[in-house]
Amino acid sequence: MIEFQNADVTYPGGFKALSNVSLTIEQGELVVIVGLSGAGKSTLLRAINGFVPITAGSVRVNGTEVRGAHEATLRELRSGIGMIFQTFNLVHRTTVLNNVLMGRLAKVPRWRSMLGLWPAADKEIAIQSLERVEIVEKTYIRASNLSGGQQQRVGIARALAQQPQVLLADEPVASLDPVTSHTVMRDLRRINRDLGITTIINLHFLDLARSYGKRLIGLRDGELVYDGDIADVDDETFRGIYGRALTPDDLKEGAEL
Amino acid sequence: MTVPDLGIRPDAVKRPDDPLGPKLFRAAIFVAILVPAIWSATGLQIDWPSLNPFRWVTDWEITLQWSWPYLILVAIVGLTVYWLSKRLTWSAAAAAAVLVMPWLNIWNEDFFFFDIWNIVHRLAPPDLSAEAVQRALPKVMESIFIAWVGTMIGAFFSFPLAFLAAKNMTPPWVNTGIRQVLNAIRAVPELLVAMLLIPITGLGAWTGTMALGLHSIGTLGKLSSEVVEGIDGGPVEAVGAVGGGQVARIRFAVIPQVLPTIVAYWLYRFEINIRASAVLGVVGAGGIGAELVAQLKFRDFARAGTVLFLTVGAVLIVDTISARLRRRIISGEPEPSPLTNFLGRTWWQRGLALLGIGIVAGIVVFLLRQLQVDLSIL
Repeated sequence: MIEFQNADVTYPGGFKALSNVSLTIEQGELVVIVGLSGAGKSTLLRAINGFVPITAGSVRVNGTEVRGAHEATLRELRSGIGMIFQTFNLVHRTTVLNNVLMGRLAKVPRWRSMLGLWPAADKEIAIQSLERVEIVEKTYIRASNLSGGQQQRVGIARALAQQPQVLLADEPVASLDPVTSHTVMRDLRRINRDLGITTIINLHFLDLARSYGKRLIGLRDGELVYDGDIADVDDETFRGIYGRALTPDDLKEGAEL
Repeated sequence: MTVPDLGIRPDAVKRPDDPLGPKLFRAAIFVAILVPAIWSATGLQIDWPSLNPFRWVTDWEITLQWSWPYLILVAIVGLTVYWLSKRLTWSAAAAAAVLVMPWLNIWNEDFFFFDIWNIVHRLAPPDLSAEAVQRALPKVMESIFIAWVGTMIGAFFSFPLAFLAAKNMTPPWVNTGIRQVLNAIRAVPELLVAMLLIPITGLGAWTGTMALGLHSIGTLGKLSSEVVEGIDGGPVEAVGAVGGGQVARIRFAVIPQVLPTIVAYWLYRFEINIRASAVLGVVGAGGIGAELVAQLKFRDFARAGTVLFLTVGAVLIVDTISARLRRRIISGEPEPSPLTNFLGRTWWQRGLALLGIGIVAGIVVFLLRQLQVDLSIL
């Protein structure tokens, strides 16, 4: 369970990225966050694993307070939260398997991971994660030889290898083509449904959010402007999130992609 | 909107086997670094002439009728023109023009390049007698070993320093200090370091090794730290997101990104160090340099030619191998084998290569005759 209580984030420059956000996300939920660029979507996501320290209020993940937590507590917390990035963030010069094994980092003795002597059980978990995102045939290939969609699925496998309770996806499909976007979104939904992992996805596109999401959170200028069922989204909420009315063009399939 | 069915079935794909190639490659790198290191460290104290197979040779007679530096010059001009123009007629004309120059009396004492030509002419043909080779070859080997061990010392100490000197890894007060230390080390030339070390380590190979090692720490540290500064921050963030600390970030996100480039820099430094170690002998810090200076002092140009011939040959061989290895490490992909590169892909390239092989075989047979090996068994 993730709880935000009157959380504020003010960056050192004085820019207020989140103001007075309060929300609760239950275990196993699939939540989609939408908003314009700079609305605070990434900040909200990164506040959950402590990448962005909140400046007021509180954020609790499974009862652990993130604000002001010690480095060791944060690392313990992060090892249970998988994260997927817009730019995939793989190490290109090593194999897919090594990239995924990185997800087991916090679970194996330090000397083993440092020497690269991963236990067989952890290798098995890594390969199973690759099987779950249907890319196991690329296990021993260098990550630089994969296409964007394949790299993102390796990114998902790396997060899965952590065996996390929470999955944070920061614009997972923003660098991908429409068809690959659907594959990746379908993978995320399947993971959420099959494994019961709380999944929080940042998206630019309402269209994809409609196809895959259940609960929608709308952000505008750092403030929570919508929190509810995705089916109930109407022109009024759209105007609230994006600052203008929904036009027929926005609903045209692929127009937003 | 419906989800498009992409036709992928879970569990339909078989797990691939763990490939053996990369493991063998890693093992080969390990052996390639460790074995020569140990060998070099001991080899520097071995009495090399006693291990030298050339000492069995008592007399070689290689007499070349034509002035072959001049023919080499003709060939270089011809090939350069061909490379620039890709036209056989032009390159043949250029080669012919250089060839007739002596008859036109251009190479006389008034000519601007006469002095250079004169010295080159005296250095060749080099004295390839058994005694001369026996004398110079162990010294060339010593130079290579000095360069290799020096590079290893530089690599070993510069690697951790590179991370400390990188602006994106440590706080400013650490990296500024370390960087200035590296700059200071780099500013002192190897020759000067060697001269400073001679009172401590004495005349000999270890002085040269230490001098090259120390200088390499400075250059490699600087180059490596700039590689570290140029990394992609994404994987570093990703390691943080799975709960890794600073050490894990370096081990899993930084080192895999920078290691190929840094190892390539080590090899590159090794190539530079071979040339540097050839000079170190001049101040008595071991290697081929002392020999070269001695022969030039006695105006024994043929013997100096031997030294140069062997040094250039060794540098060419080591550079070729090392450059190939560097490309392989950076790209991470196997390259076409040297044999394919050498033999070429068209019929005339293959013909030329076979002609070359024939000539080499002829030389080998000639040498064997000179060595008075009984060829009747063939």
